[in-house]
Amino acid sequence: MFTSKQIHLAKVFLKIFLRDRQSIIFNLLFPLIFMGAFIFSGGEPDPINLGLVNNSNNSISQDFSELVSKDPLFNITKGEESDLKKQLFMGDQTAIIIIPETFNSIENTAEIKILLDASQVRQIGTIREAIDKSLLSIERQLRNTEPMFVIKLEDVKSRPQRYIDFLLPGILAFMLMNLSIAGSGFNIVEYRRRGILKRLFVTPIKPKDFIISIVVSRIAIILMQLSVILGLAIVLLDIKILGSFFSLFGMIVIGSFIFLCLGFCFGSIAKTQESIRPIVTLFTFPQLVLSGVFFPINLLPEIIQPIAYTLPLSVVASGLRDIANEGLSLLMFNLNSLGLILWIILSFVAATKLFIWKEVAG
Amino acid sequence: MNIIEVKNLIKTYPEPGNITKSFNAVDGVTFNIKIGEIYGILGPNGAGKTTTLEMLEGLKDISSGSALIDGLDVINNSFKIKEIIGVQLQTNEYFDSLSLTELLILFGKLYSQKIDSKSLLEKVSLIEKLNAKPNELSGGQKQRFSIACALVNHPKVLFLDEPTTGLDPQAKRNLWNLVQELNVGGMTIVLTTHNMEEAESLCNRIAIMDEGKIIAEDTPQGLIDKYASEPTPETLKGNLEDVFLALTDHKLRD
Repeated sequence: MFTSKQIHLAKVFLKIFLRDRQSIIFNLLFPLIFMGAFIFSGGEPDPINLGLVNNSNNSISQDFSELVSKDPLFNITKGEESDLKKQLFMGDQTAIIIIPETFNSIENTAEIKILLDASQVRQIGTIREAIDKSLLSIERQLRNTEPMFVIKLEDVKSRPQRYIDFLLPGILAFMLMNLSIAGSGFNIVEYRRRGILKRLFVTPIKPKDFIISIVVSRIAIILMQLSVILGLAIVLLDIKILGSFFSLFGMIVIGSFIFLCLGFCFGSIAKTQESIRPIVTLFTFPQLVLSGVFFPINLLPEIIQPIAYTLPLSVVASGLRDIANEGLSLLMFNLNSLGLILWIILSFVAATKLFIWKEVAG
Repeated sequence: MNIIEVKNLIKTYPEPGNITKSFNAVDGVTFNIKIGEIYGILGPNGAGKTTTLEMLEGLKDISSGSALIDGLDVINNSFKIKEIIGVQLQTNEYFDSLSLTELLILFGKLYSQKIDSKSLLEKVSLIEKLNAKPNELSGGQKQRFSIACALVNHPKVLFLDEPTTGLDPQAKRNLWNLVQELNVGGMTIVLTTHNMEEAESLCNRIAIMDEGKIIAEDTPQGLIDKYASEPTPETLKGNLEDVFLALTDHKLRD
């Protein structure tokens, strides 16, 4: 399949990339920091810091404050209104609940005042909802009544799905996009600037040999780097990969191929080290937002969704997610596979058309 | 017998700042080089020396005219020609993380040839540097290493583009000796330079280029006889630098 020239060149590139320890380490750092943040926060949102001022000293208000304190959604600090207000101004408290003196009968409606920091306005909705919800259940407990309804969420796929399970395939896709584009696009521009491409061009090497060897060696490196992240995610975050590893790695290879080819396009278009950066940012940044890496695409405005679904990072991320979260196989054909096939063809044709030795080496 | 035959070679570029107009960077150049010759192309900066060389090496398209190397037409056989020529470019950068030995093996592989990296490095007096990286070499060592890379395919013709620019006198002499050694072994060498001493002591024949044209071509002595001013009683007749300045005038060309 490969000529001995291509294999040798691929080995040489592999050696060059592996000797660049700094870039390997720094490329691993971003996803590691990201996962580290998850491990330390336990993946759950932080409790809301609430100050509690109890102006009514009776058993009902005692019970109330006890129940609020037990709620895992809140981190309660009891104290005087003036002290807590200071903390609110300092930003140590998100809100203060004030139990009025009149809070003495379970029959009457008491007004509970909540003091908020207006700069936290973004959180008001969430806080209000959380407080409402927990007050309601506290009320039921105090009045000893049973709720009329309970909502029981039942996952029809009957398997646990956490946010991190959703996130990891997206992170892997985003990582492989960056590694691939840096590995082909930025390399070409650098090799051209230093005259290395020109030097290679005066030997009997075909552009195909050069492209294949870069692609093969880069895919090998990307597989190694992603395996480290995947391994750590499985061990430390208890990520379950429902599909086979063969399918998952197959999808990583396909994704890397697409982005390496696109990288060759950018490297061929960009004439300088300065111009490749904005070109690549223009390509990667919108995809970070639109491609369902951090949240599902169906949360985006409907008008953007059709475009978002067809972006290369979207199809690669969905492909990885289908395998990791849904247990699909690489060989199962769906609408997303069609997107993958189209991007493979499109990126490969564009790379071979744009990467013209004489002009790129120039 | 000629190993290189160049006829009416032209390279046209759009004029900088005005793409509707064009100018000829190489403007109808004709010359022949015999097997085993050291042929020098001499000229100020921007004269078209490197462009001429790069057209012969297949790095640049030929706008019009013809060029044959070892009987092969450069326009249609650039791939075959790459097999029989060795090239040392003006910029000589390599992959930094590979050692000299690894780089030579890589270049050998690009020509599908097994090479003896030690004897190549010995030839260019770099045997003690076989595990060094290119960025650890001095200017002269780098140039010699570039020549070693250009020799991996045992080329019939070796192109050297300003091989001694930026070298100190010792490194320069050392490189001249190397070129002469290679030439004694039967290799045809084409070099560009703006060093008169180099052209005079190294080349069998010289073409002087200016503004894309060859304005004189002869042996160094022939050129001196023809163009250098007669010696005054106090001074010697002059050297090739006088010839060069007389022909290309004294204006700075950057």
